[in-house]
Amino acid sequence: MVTANAHLPIVHFSSLDKLLNLGRANSLWPLTFGLACCAIEMMATGVARFDLDRFGMGVFRPAPKQSDVMIVAGTISKKMAPGIRTLYEQMPHPKWVIALGNCAIAGGPFVFAGQYGIVEGADKIMPVDIYIPGCPPRPEALVEGLLLLEEKLTGSRRWPRVNPE
Amino acid sequence: MKKLAISQALAALASARVLECDHASRGFHLSVAVAPLELPAAAKILDQQGFFIEAITGVDWLGEQAAPGPTVADQAEHQPPLPSEDSFEVVYDFNHFAKLCRVALRTRMPRSRPEIPTISAIYPGANWHERETHDFFGIIFSDHPDLSPLLLPEDADFHPLCKDYKP
Amino acid sequence: MSDLAVDPSCETFVLNMGPQHPATHGALRIKLVLDGEYIVEAEPVLGYIHRMHEKMGENRSYLAFMPNTGRLDYLSALSYNHGYVSVVERAAGIAIPERAEYLRVITVELNRISSHLLWLGAFVLDLGGFTPLLYTMDDREQLLDLLESVTGSRLTYCYFRFGGLYNDVDDNFGPGARAFIKRMRRRLPMYHKLISKNVIFRQRLEGIAPVSAEMCRKYGATGPVARGSGIAYDVRKHEPYSVYPEFNFDIPVYEQGDSMARYLIRMDEIEQSLRIVEQGLDKLPPGPIMAVKVPKIIKPPKGDYYMAVEAARGSFGIRLVSDGSATPYRLKLRSPCLSNLSLFGEAARGLLLPDAVAFFGSLDLVIPDIDR
Repeated sequence: MVTANAHLPIVHFSSLDKLLNLGRANSLWPLTFGLACCAIEMMATGVARFDLDRFGMGVFRPAPKQSDVMIVAGTISKKMAPGIRTLYEQMPHPKWVIALGNCAIAGGPFVFAGQYGIVEGADKIMPVDIYIPGCPPRPEALVEGLLLLEEKLTGSRRWPRVNPE
Repeated sequence: MKKLAISQALAALASARVLECDHASRGFHLSVAVAPLELPAAAKILDQQGFFIEAITGVDWLGEQAAPGPTVADQAEHQPPLPSEDSFEVVYDFNHFAKLCRVALRTRMPRSRPEIPTISAIYPGANWHERETHDFFGIIFSDHPDLSPLLLPEDADFHPLCKDYKP
Repeated sequence: MSDLAVDPSCETFVLNMGPQHPATHGALRIKLVLDGEYIVEAEPVLGYIHRMHEKMGENRSYLAFMPNTGRLDYLSALSYNHGYVSVVERAAGIAIPERAEYLRVITVELNRISSHLLWLGAFVLDLGGFTPLLYTMDDREQLLDLLESVTGSRLTYCYFRFGGLYNDVDDNFGPGARAFIKRMRRRLPMYHKLISKNVIFRQRLEGIAPVSAEMCRKYGATGPVARGSGIAYDVRKHEPYSVYPEFNFDIPVYEQGDSMARYLIRMDEIEQSLRIVEQGLDKLPPGPIMAVKVPKIIKPPKGDYYMAVEAARGSFGIRLVSDGSATPYRLKLRSPCLSNLSLFGEAARGLLLPDAVAFFGSLDLVIPDIDR
C-alpha cells in the first residue's frame, strides 16, 4: 500500500524526517469512528484491560481534523461510503488507514451473489495501510496492527514480537 | 378473554376472516385476513382495545399462480378470494402489553397494483415499518406522510426483497 | 421545555448530528431543526449500516443464517441466537434437552449483563463522565472471559444450534460464573455510589424526556424503555419461553418515564439477571446438550411462524415464512431498537440539545440492529 509515501515532501531532511516519524509513530491519534461490531472491540482495546494509552495511541479524537489514523471498524454500506471518503479527506496529512475486521477488508460475511448494499472493502474507496482480519478481531490484534503501523513509519519495532505458540 | 373480545370485534368487519391458531406451534393466537380497504378500520379496533404494533412484514408471493407451491396451506381456507394474479402479502403483528394475545393481521394485493392504505395515522409507530416495507417491496401506502427510502440510500429506486429483483 | 421551541416565528436552523458523531453510537444521523439550543424537530435518518440481513436469510440454508443473528445486535448476540433457533425449532418441531435450555438461559442472561455494562459505561461517557467506563469494561472483560471459554468468541456469538448447543460447558464455568456473581454484587453498590447518587448525573436525567405509556404503545416501544414508563412488559414473563417459568425473578418497573427511570431499570435488571444465573447454576441438570433426532437439513413445514424473545433492548421478534424448502421463504427480523428509536422524534421535541443526547443514550440503541 502506497499512501504514506504518496504525500512525502519533495525536499527531504533525512535525520529530521526520522525524528518526526518517531514522534508520529509514538502518538498516533485514532479517529473515533465506529461503524459496527468491530467498534466495540475497538472500545475494549482503548480501556481497562488492553489500554491503548500504553502505546500513546489512546487519544481517540472525535474530529477528523485532529486525528492521524482512521480505523475503519465495520461494514461500509453504500449509503455511508461517501461520508467515510469525506472524513478521510478531512484528515490532515500525513494520515494512515487501518481496515479493522473482515467487512472493512473485503465485505466479510455480507458478500453474496446479488448483494445490493455494501462496499466490498475499504480499499475500494481509499488507500489502506494495515489490514486486520477477524470477525471481529480481538483487541490484541488491533494492538498488533497499530504496532505494525508504527513499524511502517519508523522502520523498526519498538516492542518485542510475540511468536504464536 | 382478550382473544375472544378482539376476534369478535374484528369478525364484525365485512371482509375479515378470523382463524384461531395454536400459539405453541405458530407463535400467534389469531390470524386475521382483511381486504386492503378495511385495514384502517381493523387497526382502529386493535387500537381501541389497547394493542401495540410490533412489526410489519411484507411477503412477495411471486409465482404463486403458476405453481401454487409456496402458498401457505392453512391460509387458503380463510383468505378472502385470492386475486387471480400474483400478489404481495403484508402481515401486521400486534400484541397486548397486559394480556398476552398476538394478532397477525394479513392483507393481500395484486403485484401489479401494490397499493394499500396506511395505518400510520392510527399507529405513528407504523410509519417507519411501512416505509421499510415500501423500500423492500415497492408497496405504496396511500396517504403515508413520507415514503422516502428509510434503510436504502436516498436515491434508491430498486426494491431488493422482491423475488424478481436482479441487481 | 420552553415556549420558544414551538414558536414558528423564531429563526431556526438545521443541524446534522452524525453519521459520524461520538454520541450516536455508530452510524446514525439525526437531522435536527434547532431554535438556539432547543429542538424544534428531530428526524433520525437510518440506513447507514444496512447490511441486508433479511435478503441474506432468503438465499442460504437455515443453519447458514445462524452467524448473522450474532451480528444484528452484537451486544446481546446470544438473545438473538436464542430467538432464531427457537423460531426454527418451533417451525420444525424440534424438542430440546433440558440441560441445553438451562445453559441457554444462563448464557443469555450473562450476555444481558455484559450488554448493560457496556451501555452503562458508554451512557455515562455521553454525559461527560469518563471514569465509570473503565470500571464497567473491567467487569465486562471478566464476563467475556467466561463466555469466551464456552462459546469460543468474545462478541459475535454463534453458540446455539437447532436442537441444542454447540458444546457443553467445562468444569471451570460454574465456579467462574459464581465468582463473577459475587464480584458483581460487590460492584453494583459501588456503581450506585459512584453514578446514581452523583448530583450532576441526576440533574441531567431526572425529569428529562418523559415518555408516556401511551406513547410506548403507539410506537411499539418495548424493553427498558417501556418498563421505565410503567409498563410491566417483559417477554420472559409475558409469553414465557425456554425454561424461564422455572426461575424466580422480578421485572423492575418505574413509573416516571424519564431518562433516570430507564437508567435505573437497567441497573436493576443486572441484579435480576444475576439471580437467574445463580438459580440456573443451582438447578443445572446433567444430560445431553443436543436433541437426538435433528435432521441435517432443516425443512420446516409450509406456514408462517412467529417467535419473540426478550433481548437486552426489548422484544426481538422473528417472523419466518417457510415454503417447505431448505431455505427460508421470508425472514422478517423485528428490531426492538427500531421501534424504540421511532418515538425519538416526538419525545425530543422541545428538549435542549444536550438533554436530547442524554435521552438518546438512555434509549440504548445498537445501530446495526436498527438498520439490519
